[in-house]
Amino acid sequence: MNGSALVQPDPNLIRDVMAAGGGDLKKCYQCATCAVTCELSTDEAPFPRPQMIAAQWGLKDRLIEDPGPWLCFYCGECSKRCPRGANPGESMMALRRYLTAQYDWTGLSRLMYRSAVWELGVLGLVALLVIALFTLPHDFGFGLLSQYPAALQTVMLDRFAPKHIVHLADNILAAGLGLLLLSNGWRMLRALTRGRSIPSGTYLKALPGLLAEAATQRRWKKCADQRGGINWVRHLVLVSGYATIFTLVVLFLPWFQVEDSGLHWTSLLGYYATAVIIGSTVWMMSDRAARRSEMHRFSHLSDWLFPILLFLTAVSGILLHIVRISGLPMATYVTYMIHLAIAVPMLVVEVPFGKWAHLLYRPLAMYVAAAGKESCEKRMAVGERG
Amino acid sequence: MNKLGVYVCSGCGIGETLDVARLAEAAAEFKPAVCRTHAAFCNAEACGMIRQDIAEGKVGAVVIAGCSARFKAEAFCFDHGSVVERVNLREQVAWSHQPQDEDTQMLAEDYLRMGIARALKTEPPVPLQDEVSKTILVVGGGVAGITAALEAAAAGYEAVLVEKQEELGGRAAGTRKRAAQMEDLAEAALYNPRIRTFCSSAIEKIEGQPGMFDVTLAAPAGEQKIRAGAIVLATGWKPYDASRLASLGYGVSPDVITNVELERMAAAGAIVRPSNGQPAKSVLFVQCAGSRDAAHLSYCSSACCTETLTEIGYIRQQDAQAQVYVIYKDMRTPGPYERLYREAQDHPLNFFTKGEVAQVRRWEDGRLAVTANHTLLGESITLCVDLVVLATGMVPNGTEDILKLAYRQGLELPVLHNGFADSHFVCFPYETRRTGIYAAGAVRAPMDDEQARQDATGAALKAIQCVEMAARGCAVHPRGGDMSYPAFALQRCTQCKRCTEECPFGALDEDAKGTPKPNLYRCRRCGVCMGACPERIISFKNYSVDMIASMIKAIEVPDNEDKPRVLALVCENDAYPAVDLAGLKRRQYDAAVRIIPLRCLGSLNIVWIADALSRGIDGVILVGCKYGDDYQCHFTKGSELAAKRLENVKETLQRLQLEPERLQLTQLAIDEWDRLPAVFDDFVERMRELGPNPYKGF
Repeated sequence: MNGSALVQPDPNLIRDVMAAGGGDLKKCYQCATCAVTCELSTDEAPFPRPQMIAAQWGLKDRLIEDPGPWLCFYCGECSKRCPRGANPGESMMALRRYLTAQYDWTGLSRLMYRSAVWELGVLGLVALLVIALFTLPHDFGFGLLSQYPAALQTVMLDRFAPKHIVHLADNILAAGLGLLLLSNGWRMLRALTRGRSIPSGTYLKALPGLLAEAATQRRWKKCADQRGGINWVRHLVLVSGYATIFTLVVLFLPWFQVEDSGLHWTSLLGYYATAVIIGSTVWMMSDRAARRSEMHRFSHLSDWLFPILLFLTAVSGILLHIVRISGLPMATYVTYMIHLAIAVPMLVVEVPFGKWAHLLYRPLAMYVAAAGKESCEKRMAVGERG
Repeated sequence: MNKLGVYVCSGCGIGETLDVARLAEAAAEFKPAVCRTHAAFCNAEACGMIRQDIAEGKVGAVVIAGCSARFKAEAFCFDHGSVVERVNLREQVAWSHQPQDEDTQMLAEDYLRMGIARALKTEPPVPLQDEVSKTILVVGGGVAGITAALEAAAAGYEAVLVEKQEELGGRAAGTRKRAAQMEDLAEAALYNPRIRTFCSSAIEKIEGQPGMFDVTLAAPAGEQKIRAGAIVLATGWKPYDASRLASLGYGVSPDVITNVELERMAAAGAIVRPSNGQPAKSVLFVQCAGSRDAAHLSYCSSACCTETLTEIGYIRQQDAQAQVYVIYKDMRTPGPYERLYREAQDHPLNFFTKGEVAQVRRWEDGRLAVTANHTLLGESITLCVDLVVLATGMVPNGTEDILKLAYRQGLELPVLHNGFADSHFVCFPYETRRTGIYAAGAVRAPMDDEQARQDATGAALKAIQCVEMAARGCAVHPRGGDMSYPAFALQRCTQCKRCTEECPFGALDEDAKGTPKPNLYRCRRCGVCMGACPERIISFKNYSVDMIASMIKAIEVPDNEDKPRVLALVCENDAYPAVDLAGLKRRQYDAAVRIIPLRCLGSLNIVWIADALSRGIDGVILVGCKYGDDYQCHFTKGSELAAKRLENVKETLQRLQLEPERLQLTQLAIDEWDRLPAVFDDFVERMRELGPNPYKGF
């Protein structure tokens, strides 16, 4: 048994991945049509075939240490060509959901991916918390408002949700969620590099690639996307809108949350973000509803919730803007609360525990894969010389 | 001698290629009673003319020169009592040679003379007429045997079913899934008034021949004598001896079992670990255990994959949480069985991988550790399981100590590949090398129940065909309907035993001195005995050494060096149709070739070669079937025998100062017809290079 691995399948893994969208995973008979079809798959580290059998066999350690699932952008060519109907594309998606849950040390992610009740429950709970924050304290929200009768006549947001408090809360939230996400990312990095001896210099060398990838998802362009790269462009535009509004809220809230109806630079950026987010999410949701391309054929609850919540955040945001400019104080305060009761749960649930986390996981995996490849090539080159 | 009638057809391009009037003149040498030409003898009016000539007693030997005998057989089928000889002027002359050419004309005239020579020596065959039994004996009471008996009975024939076990049912009766079905099938046989069943019985002896097999049974009620017309051998299979699979862990622990043992366990109840009686919670199947393996069985038994998938179903019924592993070389689940594979794959806790099991050993906790190399997981893996099941293959059961035939060539059926009682791999399923005995089910080839049923039905129908042909006194496949049979002029026999040894079907027994004792109902009319006999004492009424020799003598051999002559003796089963096909495709070849069809190259008598060469014919080419393990010969090894005889002749040639290159045997399958023109042309070319046969003109 020298050199053979003791294999003990993890039945929970198989069930979790199957429940998370990989229902056809077991159909795979390892013909490797998928890996041959895939434009991104390489001979050194092919996918999705090895991931398919690892998932079929419940090989948890192997999957957790594998960047493979994150290298796939789900163009769906493999699913189309799979002779067995095993849907490798969707199985890789299911693996990403499963892995997101595995890298999360709190266990909340797994609960939410496995159960719609948990996912909607947590969202609702956070929303209730936000509403409670606006209704229960006497020096914030409606409690604060009751001390300023004038604010009922004209819109005075500082008498409802003072900028400095909201900004502080924003930053605390961003820092908290960011830390959670980074801790999960660290776990991922640890797993991915387990058993790999990659010199640290190689990591440095691969770093620019990591940043470029995070910013542009440039590898996606190599995908055999049947829609001429529309999916990639649309995603890139959405990311730009999202990043804009995120930056405005977290860094520039004092300039963003204004009370007069004049045209501010922040308003212009806000309009851009709103337009882009509403446009992209509506388009994406309609694709999903119509199952327009392979990647839209199966939609998990998590695939729906993210664009829906983004859309609602943007809609409530622009509505807030309209009622404020229209000079409707009560409507403005209520909309403000609703806006946050949508945006905050979305961020809390999605950033460290949900689909949003791919923002970190995907570049990290590519980074490790690239560093691994680099060091592998270097070793081969040295070997050749020797 | 019959009064000769010659009918030369000028249709289908013959008239345009040949001078038909000169052909009629050539025939005139033989002083025919009637000689006619017509633009299409196959039409009803012209046929009527021939029929009338026969009816009026004007002619008895009818020579029709026109298309190949392989066409228009019905139109030219006249009363028994008349001889019909067809001369192939269409496919082998007009369609394959230069029109209006002297050599082509000479070719046609030779063929006409050869045909007439043959017709004049041919006598109408008289069929055998004996009392025959139409009872079908079925040996083996498993799924194939019971089905064969039921099918024979359903077609109106009496069947006798012999089973050595106490009850009908065979191996399938011992399985969980098929037991009930087999009970029904057995009951259907037991209550069928046309089927007599002998259980706990064995054959003591089988004597005789198709239509009159005398079978002696050892039955519980004492010795039984049965007369049967044909026999279906359906004795199935036995599992490969697992004790030889120590390398796969058999014997390492009682928890390593075979698929047959698992079935037995499943039929009896729960699937447990034999070592402690506890239910098996993890089971590993090793597919191709000792199959497709040069050290054991080199073939695929075709049913083990499906069996394993069925057995996984038993395990699932027992325990939804059990882990089941399958390590295979290839999953082979043809047709609808793929659905079983898909279903098994779908369960989350069924794990499949290609791989090679390298080691099975006891693990510390008492379970078994199985190590497999070259897996789809990309590395060698070790799995710990409660139970290991070796999916072993099938070994044919029934080619030893079963039929006890009182035949000169041996007690049991000759076998082909891997000990299966098969005769030919494509053309003749169920045929064996013993006429009237047909193999069905896993004794013929590895197969599952469902295939065995189809096999049994086919074999039952072959058996019925056999008894009906015997009743009419004619041959069975492939010369179905042939009424001729070999006659032995035994007063000249030298007891050399070549015929009794070489008969591919064991038709000839021997007396104590070695004189052949023909069993004509076993005979397939191939003429191998005729070719073997150095004394030339064996002949058919319409096929004899003398007849072919007369044809050879009818070939005009010009002294002219530019006109070589080549004799082509061609197997009429594959090679002759191939020559016709070449003609049909208008492929041209040298007009020096004179083709004579033989029933089988095995009927080649070397005297013909001596005849041809002594007459000045420059070379003799034999074209026959491919031989070897995957032989194509309809009579098993005819061309192989011919090749051996040819080697012997070549030595003689050298003594006569003749080049051995003047003799050649070409093996050719029917689908290689396009190779034929080149084969002929090359051979003629080589003869030209060798120069003329020095015996020319003697």
